Amino acid sequence: MNVRALLGVLRGRLYAQRRIVAACCTAAFVAGIVQPTGFVAPLFLCSLLGIAMALAQSPGLYPHLDRCEQGAPLFGRELARAKALVPCVAAAFAALLFAGAQSLRDPGGVPLTIVVALAAVIAGTLTALSATIRHGASRALYVAIAAAMSGIAYGLAAGAHSVLAEVGFCAIVAFFALRQYGEALARYDPI
Amino acid sequence: MRDAAFVRDGTSVGPFTLDLEEGERAALQCDAPRDAAIAALLGCGIVKASSGCVLIGDFDPRVQSVACKRLAALVPHEPLALDDGEFPRYVAYRAALWNLEPRRAHERAALLRKRLAGMHEAFAFPLIGALIGMPKLVVLDRPQPAYVRHILDVVAGRALLTTHADADGARVFAPNTLRFRSVQA
Repeated sequence: MNVRALLGVLRGRLYAQRRIVAACCTAAFVAGIVQPTGFVAPLFLCSLLGIAMALAQSPGLYPHLDRCEQGAPLFGRELARAKALVPCVAAAFAALLFAGAQSLRDPGGVPLTIVVALAAVIAGTLTALSATIRHGASRALYVAIAAAMSGIAYGLAAGAHSVLAEVGFCAIVAFFALRQYGEALARYDPI
Repeated sequence: MRDAAFVRDGTSVGPFTLDLEEGERAALQCDAPRDAAIAALLGCGIVKASSGCVLIGDFDPRVQSVACKRLAALVPHEPLALDDGEFPRYVAYRAALWNLEPRRAHERAALLRKRLAGMHEAFAFPLIGALIGMPKLVVLDRPQPAYVRHILDVVAGRALLTTHADADGARVFAPNTLRFRSVQA
């Protein structure tokens, strides 16, 4: 794995999308102040922000970044990992800011919130990434699947009271979502 | 390129046939701007040919795309609007993607920027970005004819392929323009 390229893509895209990232982080912080208890706000809001950040990686929004990355000597899977890291890091920032705001009102629940929210955010974000290189119904389907992942994660964490099951489920989903995205990106024709 | 064509969803570009050695240059004149853009992507191995073949060095983009991308660099048609403070960031980004030593990439970029003095920055920056990876083939998608002197100067010694949507632009970049008419699939 080319770490320099990974960090280059991360820095380049986070800089280009800094306003969206700032808006997501602000929304998460405000939600953390307003609704500090329970899993609903951190899990669904942060997953939604992750899905929005994933969709912000769609080709055409930053054409010069797209062209540089398409022309760079990187394998599809390397580019997929680098591009996947961007929304995951941005959404993780949002989840941590939510937890930071929560700690001001309900410090006891912070560690659990971080674990539950991060697991759901990463699974939902990686699933939504496959929507970025698709159009129409299949794009909507991937976004719906990503949203459904958050629902299942919430069911496991809050309904079944099993954080371990939620984290395990999200880890499996994230693994297959990243593989799927890498394979799709390797076949993708940028026209 | 040997009968290299791109055909998909009603879009048909090519077939193109041409040989280009190091130090040589060729201009492809296409029917429409979109065709010229696709021809440029085909020429540097970013898009795979639907039929025929493209070889960059000894590599086929369909199976050795990473090796092809080490040899060829694309300069897109669209200008790159960056301010002076963002240019070093852009060079660092390109250097990271091409796994280049950052210090050497910045030195090379500064040198190229001096040589491209007089060329509008929005057109110079993508060209500099493409050249810091020291490609053997440079592909320019519809370059500005006004900057032909600058472009030929910095690209000298490398193979240069330009694509155009008009005859005048193509003639300026290469004396022997290859005109291709797209065949409907």
